[in-house]
Amino acid sequence: MSEDGTDSGRRRFLLGSTSVVGVAGVVGAVVPFVGSWNPSAKARAAGAAVRVDISRIEEGAILGPIPAWRGRPIFVVRRTQEALDALATIEDDLQDPASTQPEQPEYAANQYRSRRPEILVLIGLCPHLFCSPTPRLAIRPEPFEPNWKGGFFCPCHGSKFDMAGRVYSGSPASRNMQVPPHYYETDNVLVIGEDEVSA
Amino acid sequence: MSDTKKQGVIVSSLVGLRDWVDDRLPIMAAWERHMSKYYAPKNFNFWYFFGVLSLVVLVIQLVSGIFLTMHYTNSAEAAFASVEYIMRDVEFGWIIRYIHSTGASAFFIVVYLHMFRGLMYGSYKKPRELIWVFGMAIFLILMMEGFMGYVLPWGQMSYWGANVIVSLVGAIPVIGEDLLVWVRGDYLISGATLNRFFALHVVAMPIILIALVVLHLLALHEVGSNNPDGIEIKKNKDENGIPVDGIPFHPYYTVHDLVGITIFFMVFCGIIFFAPEMGGYFLEPPNFQEADPLVTPPHVPPVWYFTAFYSMLRAVTIPLFGIDAKFWGMVVMFGAIAILFVLPWLDRSPVKSIRYKGWYSRIALLIFTASFLILMYLGTLTVSPGRTILAQICTIIYFLYFFLMPWYTKKEQTFPEPTRVTGRWISNKQLVITLALLAVLVVLPLRAVGAEHSDVPLDHVELDLRDQASLQRGLGTYMNYCFSCHSLKYARFERTANDLGIPTEIMLQNTAFGGQAIGELMDNAMRPEHANAWFGKVPPDLTLVARARSPEWIYTYLRSFYTDEARGWGVNNVVFPNVGMPNVLHKLQGDVVCTNNASTPEECHLAHVDGTGELSPEEFDAVIHDLTNFLYYIAEPVRLKRQSIGVYVLGFLAILLVFVTLLNREYWRRIH
Repeated sequence: MSEDGTDSGRRRFLLGSTSVVGVAGVVGAVVPFVGSWNPSAKARAAGAAVRVDISRIEEGAILGPIPAWRGRPIFVVRRTQEALDALATIEDDLQDPASTQPEQPEYAANQYRSRRPEILVLIGLCPHLFCSPTPRLAIRPEPFEPNWKGGFFCPCHGSKFDMAGRVYSGSPASRNMQVPPHYYETDNVLVIGEDEVSA
Repeated sequence: MSDTKKQGVIVSSLVGLRDWVDDRLPIMAAWERHMSKYYAPKNFNFWYFFGVLSLVVLVIQLVSGIFLTMHYTNSAEAAFASVEYIMRDVEFGWIIRYIHSTGASAFFIVVYLHMFRGLMYGSYKKPRELIWVFGMAIFLILMMEGFMGYVLPWGQMSYWGANVIVSLVGAIPVIGEDLLVWVRGDYLISGATLNRFFALHVVAMPIILIALVVLHLLALHEVGSNNPDGIEIKKNKDENGIPVDGIPFHPYYTVHDLVGITIFFMVFCGIIFFAPEMGGYFLEPPNFQEADPLVTPPHVPPVWYFTAFYSMLRAVTIPLFGIDAKFWGMVVMFGAIAILFVLPWLDRSPVKSIRYKGWYSRIALLIFTASFLILMYLGTLTVSPGRTILAQICTIIYFLYFFLMPWYTKKEQTFPEPTRVTGRWISNKQLVITLALLAVLVVLPLRAVGAEHSDVPLDHVELDLRDQASLQRGLGTYMNYCFSCHSLKYARFERTANDLGIPTEIMLQNTAFGGQAIGELMDNAMRPEHANAWFGKVPPDLTLVARARSPEWIYTYLRSFYTDEARGWGVNNVVFPNVGMPNVLHKLQGDVVCTNNASTPEECHLAHVDGTGELSPEEFDAVIHDLTNFLYYIAEPVRLKRQSIGVYVLGFLAILLVFVTLLNREYWRRIH
């Protein structure tokens, strides 16, 4: 390009600087197109936190798989004292009994994996291949586990979870079921999808 | 090769990859043929930017269009709302939509100018006939593409524009009626029509368009570009077989075109960020109302790029041979496009460019251009007897320009062509005289047939979207007096609360009467069947009223109710005669009467009855001001953000312009 005897230094500088400015422009122009793939206000409204009245859940019963939060089934279980006591007895059979992996918010990283011991809130999906496990809440022998202390059993590939959503050893799944962000607005109103009151 | 090896492994492996591909696909040969060894005349002027700009706009439209289809819903029930969804809820959706709507008009601007360049410099003449024919096919497809795209937002103009144009099919004798039903897929323009137009607009037409553009360019690069002097540079080659007056397209015209493209982007972004409606020509106000098959807007002008041909359609008012005038109007309209295809065989002049053609050609082109501009302008207006006659005259001139061309191009005395291209540009004196003549030829006939009918004068209103207190008061008035009948169903509580600085809880308590969540749309609780029973029709949604009408209209309308016992609600309105809405603000405003016993509402002089109403007239005006301000906001919540982004975009483009200008000058400073 410089064979016609022009000032090639100046030409190179102008080519370089124009290219830099031009590339910056292209990057700027790409921003709205990339941004348009983010969840829209409609999607965000549909995926907003949901409020549940938990007063109607009887002891030992589950409210689920409704409500759904962000299109995923939510299990809300009011655990019996018996079920809570059983949690400690099976820890040797679990892969991550102490909830060391980040499958729950900090406030649920305790022995019950919940804010309130008796109320369990889980995203009702198996971390293996995302089937929704079947609640088997009663403490009784089951075909898949004679010494069953209550929990969830995935019909797809046989993963087993206890009454805190913790995965048993020997399951295809290798992580505990997720606890969604949640808090209690009042004694009986559970908000799923937010950690704390924001406003 | 040995040089490149020294520059390192990366460069040499890239070169290796290039050579590997080139052995299997002729990329280097194609690059040389179309770019680095495509010799273009070195005297291209301003008019030669519009070809490359057409390509730029094509890319803009393809990219923005693809992204719009990701959010648009192509059903009659949801199309209109989905466009507002794009404008409000999709992140940056408004930019993409304005890019596409502005791009449509920009496409026609650059294509019209590109075609005019061809007319001036004889770019259609032998050996470039096929380039011209492909170009005209592009123009025809582009018009169909533009028309179908305009239907997709499913506003009132979309609907009624489609209705008018599609109905032309029905004018075809014998088979017309059946064909019309087939084209629409229904007995009226409906969702079936919308769906087929969507498929054609986003899939079929773009494919054809791209194919034709490729043919247009291949044909161009086979014979070479014309130039303002209209002489063939290939007739004068140096010892290497390179045209003496030619210059490699790359890098010389790539850097040259960058300047034109940057200036184009400045204008384009100026429109997107500061005037996306372009005074109602790019986005027509009635299209901010959803399509209603039962109510035609008072005036249905096509979008500006069709108005010239639309004028010709309307100009034919005489039935011939026992066939409706409508049919002949269609023949004339399509004939006006068809005749462009045969232009290369109508021009018998021995020279190409208008620079060396005789006076007959020059005057013919001037008058032709003036008539086309007049037809364009008339197409945006309603008809009157005078305007129809002017349109008829201009239509005849349009056709005479082509029909007489074989005669006057042969007959006239031409000027001698130079043997080498000249760098000359029209002198300032010539330019001024030409433009002045053109202006006179366009303006005088239009003056003679009368200006546009003036409506009721509207009161000016000074609005300020930064005044949150005013917007909050406006929202309050709206919620108290309007919202129970008129929804704001394209806006969301949350966004409105945030923009107006209202806390979530207060917003929900005072506006979400139906117990909605903060993220939901501001729909109201009135059921359509109740509304029909109470008012005889469903009160319109008012989210977009400030765009469908204007803030001035709202401000004046709400202050123009007066007592009229003859009407159902006991009131009438000067701005909206015989309106079917009660004066809901009567308690605040008090009584207003028509003092001059006018025969029509428009002619009334209004006077406030002293001592009536809770507010003084000044206080009432302030309430309406705030309400208007709020409606102005809610019609386009992104307005302030749009303008502030626009300042940065234009600033950036100004910087880019400096660089590309310097780069262009650097390459061209030794070329003469």
